[in-house]
Amino acid sequence: MRFVIIGSGRVGLRTARVLRDEGHEVTLVEIDDDRAERAREADFQVVEGDGSREEVLERAGVVDADALGALTSDLNVNFAACSIAKHHGLRTVLRVDEDYREEVYQQYADQVDEVVYPERLGAIGAKNALLGGSVRAIADIAQNLQVVLMTVTDDSPMHGYSIEEVALPGQARVLAFGKADRPMGIPVTDDSLETGDRLAVLADFEVLGEVRQLIVGENSVAAAAGGA
Amino acid sequence: MVTAYVMVKASTGDVDGLKHSMLNLHDGVESVSIVAGDVDFIVKTSVDDTAQVKEIAASIHEMSGIEDTQTYIAMD
Repeated sequence: MRFVIIGSGRVGLRTARVLRDEGHEVTLVEIDDDRAERAREADFQVVEGDGSREEVLERAGVVDADALGALTSDLNVNFAACSIAKHHGLRTVLRVDEDYREEVYQQYADQVDEVVYPERLGAIGAKNALLGGSVRAIADIAQNLQVVLMTVTDDSPMHGYSIEEVALPGQARVLAFGKADRPMGIPVTDDSLETGDRLAVLADFEVLGEVRQLIVGENSVAAAAGGA
Repeated sequence: MVTAYVMVKASTGDVDGLKHSMLNLHDGVESVSIVAGDVDFIVKTSVDDTAQVKEIAASIHEMSGIEDTQTYIAMD
């Protein structure tokens, strides 16, 4: 797909890299000379100029692009860029600068398909790193539904059993499984659970405690509930 | 008559509640719009004198959930 990213700072440039790594075509729009130069050195196509101006976005190819990410630290620029992109029929993503604005733009901004607040994602990562332990939240799917990565410990009551034998509560599913030090994959029912193995589980908040006791064991760090 | 515009920055996502509170603050508050960008609301006031503009702006500033206000008085 073709993407236009406004802003080649920490958020914009990293997003552009990830998209390029996955084989997509990315054009960056950057107003600052030094940042534009840095993005060019990283072999990106860069249009220098103000991302809130239509002619600049046209030079960046907004007319034929699939989606636009307005990822600068300036909310006025980001909103203007999304408005122009929406006019051209693109999918739009807006970066907000403060957490309370996430819900305001989700609710009111018709020009914006998705809102991102990068600090929230950073905070979830930092929280997981600080808590350590055998349970980490990966994603909030819905208000009461979370994907959690759990590591089997010596205390786990299911230690030595196969995935098929683990009787999880009704509102929980094993999504992925990985042996210790091996990549995660789709679970096979006769995989057996040993210390250090990891399970990604989709679970309702109500049964998270129960799932944790089954997979991790009684003395696990209670770290799952709530995002950031 | 004095027309003035108050730019308001919030500190909470409950913009509907704040909008409602500002509309009911004073008879001189003519409209409250939720806007995109670095401020969250533009409040239009129409009052008898500048003292009342100051009064309204101060009341908005004191509301909980409001971080900052900036007032512009129309000259035409």
